This record gives sequence, C-alpha cells and structure tokens, in this order.
Amino acid sequence: MRKALLYTLLVIASLITVVPLLYMVSLSLQTEAETLAANAVLVPDSPQWGNYAELFARAPFGNFIVNSLVVAGAITLAHLLFDPLVGYVFAKFRFPLRNTLFVALLATLMVPFFVRMIPLYVLMANMGWLNTYQGLITPFLMDAFGIFLMRQFIQPIPDDLINAARIDGASELRIYRSVILPQTRPALAVLGLFTFVFQWNEFLWPLVATSTPEMRTIPVGLTLFNQEYFTLWHLTAAGSVILFVPTAILFIFTQRYFVRGIALTGLR
Amino acid sequence: MSRPRTLSGRYARTAYLFLTPAILFFAAFFYLPIGNVVATSFRTGPQADQWTGLGNYTQALADPAVRHSFLVTVAFSVLVVIGSIVLGLVLALALDQPLKGRVVFRVLLLVPYLTSVAIVGLLWRNILDPELGVLNRMLDALGLPGQQWLNTAPLLTIAAVTLWQNVGYTMVLFLAGLQGIPETYHEAAKIDGADGWTRFWRITLPLLAPTTLFVSVMAVISGLQAFGQAYIITNGGPGDATDLSVFHIFNVAFRTRDFGYSSAQSVLLLVVIVAFTLVQLRAGRRGEVTY
Repeated sequence: MRKALLYTLLVIASLITVVPLLYMVSLSLQTEAETLAANAVLVPDSPQWGNYAELFARAPFGNFIVNSLVVAGAITLAHLLFDPLVGYVFAKFRFPLRNTLFVALLATLMVPFFVRMIPLYVLMANMGWLNTYQGLITPFLMDAFGIFLMRQFIQPIPDDLINAARIDGASELRIYRSVILPQTRPALAVLGLFTFVFQWNEFLWPLVATSTPEMRTIPVGLTLFNQEYFTLWHLTAAGSVILFVPTAILFIFTQRYFVRGIALTGLR
Repeated sequence: MSRPRTLSGRYARTAYLFLTPAILFFAAFFYLPIGNVVATSFRTGPQADQWTGLGNYTQALADPAVRHSFLVTVAFSVLVVIGSIVLGLVLALALDQPLKGRVVFRVLLLVPYLTSVAIVGLLWRNILDPELGVLNRMLDALGLPGQQWLNTAPLLTIAAVTLWQNVGYTMVLFLAGLQGIPETYHEAAKIDGADGWTRFWRITLPLLAPTTLFVSVMAVISGLQAFGQAYIITNGGPGDATDLSVFHIFNVAFRTRDFGYSSAQSVLLLVVIVAFTLVQLRAGRRGEVTY
C-alpha cells in the first residue's frame, strides 16, 4: 500500500518532467498543419525528418552548432587546464598572501554574472572582441567553483608523495603532471561534464555579446529564430532537439558523475 | 638572477608562477569589471561619461518601475524557494525508500535540469500558448474551458516552469542529505517507540537543516538573477507583471542604452544578493546541528 503510493508519486512526477520533452520531439516531426490542428497531434502520422533540413535552410544552424561546440569546448578545456593547477596551489603550497588570495577567489562566488555583464560588454567593445569567439570564451575561462572543487579533492593526497618526488629531483611542473593530476581524474570528469553542459546551455552572455546570426550559439540562435518565425513551432522544436541531444547523450552515459557532482559540491 | 635561499621561498615562487594565469584572469574578468560597474554607476549620459554622483541611485530607489521589478523578482524567488524545498524534499523522501527502479526515476526527474533555459522557455511557451498551445487544444477538444495561465497568473506560471527545470537538482541535494543521516538514529527512535511521522519531524528534518539551508540559499540566488524565463516566455509581461530585475537591467542597458542607470541597478541588486547570502549563512551557522 505504502509502496504503491510512493510509486504513484514518482511515476506522476517523472511523467511531468519527461512528457513535455517527448512532446518536443514529437512536435519537431510534425507537419505545420499538425502543429495547429484543433485535435492536438501527439504522435505525427508520418515523421517529418525534413523539418530538420528546413531548419538549416532557414537559419545558419550549422554555424550555431559549430559556435556552441567551439565556445563550450574551449571553456571546458580551459577549466580542465587551470582549475586543478590553481586548486593544487591552494591545497599544497604555503606562500605569502595565500589566505588573502583564497578569500579574494571565494568572494567571486558571490558575484552573479549579471553584475559583470555591462562592464564586460564595454570591455569587449573597446577591444573589438564583441561578436568574436574570444569575446564569448574569455569571461568564463576559470571559476571559483571549479578551483574549489579541485582543491577539496587534492587536499587529502599525502604530502609525502610530493616530497618524495621533490627528493627524486622532479621539477614542480612534473610533480603536478605526474603525481597530482593522475589522482584527480574522477574530479576532472565531474568538472568537465558540468562545465561543458552549463556552457553549452549558457544564454545571457552569448545573447549580449553577439550581433550577427553567424556568431550565435544554439540557445541564442534558436530563441531569436523563434522570435522571427514564431508560428513555425515544428522548426523551433527541431532546433530544441538539436540543442538537447548532446547533453542528453552525455547524461545517459555519465549520470552517476552528475549525481555525485551535485551531491559533492552543489555546483550552481 | 638571485635564487631564493629558503625552501619555502622556492615553493612560494612556484606557487606564484602557477597562480599567474588565474590572478590575471580574475583581475581582468572579475575585479576590473566589478570596479567598472561601480564607476559607471556614478555616471550618466549616452556615453556614461558625465559624473552624477549618487544620481542614478536616488533615481533608481525612487523609480516605480525599478521597485516593481524588484518586488516581482522577490515574489518569484519566494515561490521558487518554497517549491524547491517542498517538492525536492518530498521526491527525495520517496526516492530514499528501498524501491526498484530508483536510479531510473532519479534520471528521469533530473533530465530537465540539463536543458538550456532556451529549451525550457520555448517549450513551455508553446505548451501554454493560449490559442496554439497543445494544452489548450487538448482541453478544447475535450470540451473543457481553456486556460490563460500566462495571462491570469504569469508569475506563478514562470515560477512553476522554473521548478519543473530545477526540482531534480534540489531532489538530488536532499537525497544526499538524507543518506548522510546515520541509520542508527532511526533505529534508536524506533526502539523508543517513535512512529514514522515523529521520526520525520524530530530526526530527519532537523538533521537535514544544513541541506535545507543550502538549497534555499541556492534557490534564492538563482531566483534573484533569473533572466531567460522573462526574456523568452513572457517578454516581461503581460504589462510588467514578470519584469524580473535582471531582465529589467538588460533592457535599460541594451535597449535604452543607459549604461550608467543600469549599472547602478546592477550594483543595488548585487548588494541585496550578497547581504541576503551572508544573513542566511550566518543564521544557518547558528542553527547548525552537530551529531
């Protein structure tokens, strides 16, 4: 009896989260007439795969995809390169101003993006970086969340390991690369996944920092496409599916990392 | 080149060498912009180059549109916080039971969290569209009266949509909190004859306090800076009913092109967010439960 109740609750909740997304897939395969039919179509008569081709014909969707991959990919690589390095320094080194710098770093956690939005726009305009990849990428190269996550992960690694390598004459960079980095793989996986998914989905900055359709990322390109063709819901849905598929695939294969990552740090 | 003589001096040099990119990055893309937004907030004019002192701030505090958008944002955040805690906790409690298929449910409930606000916004605008939306076409075909939620209860509706996206996230946080409560506590209480309800109120809820605090801090912070919901679903409307603060700031900055005035509003909202975070964390520290 109690079990039945619990299952009912979970099934209903899951239906509420998943059915709208399934409807989005269905909508992307409907004819325009079906999207408007008085009797709402839930499963299209014959799936209109051509909708996807039409989307690419009406908007530079190929550009959107490439832009999203370049921007999210570059930012993810930067995080994987810098966050563990900085985390390692704060976990294992003693140096002047260490605590001051660490507090200054953690303080940036309290600064939401909208605070940086206007000055970054002016900065990028002055440098001629608006509507460029470097303009989209540089504001997100590192963040305190990632550095803090890596610091927490590196701290328990025994100092003896580092000191032994030093006695063996290994350079500091080599110690980092061959002693520290290999031990951080699970944390790097979490960091990489979260960074990629959040940057892939990022909306506000690409909206502010791009001005031509060719430079838009998928979320922005799709939203502005919808403003232009607001009756062509089957095409907007097709674009949404394209935006969602990579994160969905990533999630299916790595959901344990996602769950652990959220539980571990409460990222975002 | 003189080499630092002490060991710690040598490691300090390495530390700073490794830190250099990060110091440059956070200086250029966090501290410089924060300094600039404050500097710009004291200026006015189309180029934001005329000194106006506190002019933008006094104007913002007296501006009914700014006040209204702030109240809308607070109401939105309150709805999201309450919803996140109640729904997230209920789902986490259900998933904490020894049920088959837990992993599947957890995955299904977490899926919307991975979608972009662009997907969430566009999808729900389509579903809820008063005429073309699938919901109203279905209600109509069934002979039921149509709904106009985006017109009659717009703020509640976009808060619900936000919850739809985020509830899996809070659920996972609560689930982690629940799994951190030692089983022996429940066992001991059972032996003492406490029923499930008593155990929930006397053991589970108090021990979950840190998680609840974290969830509420995160939900408030993300609620206060919500943007896409207004930009995509409602365009701030109907009227100004969903004119969320960041959407309002965005419009003043990039549609009216008043960087001075929008910067002052950004700073004010930042002050609110930081003050709120500090108060909540302090309150949380006082109420912290130790095992």
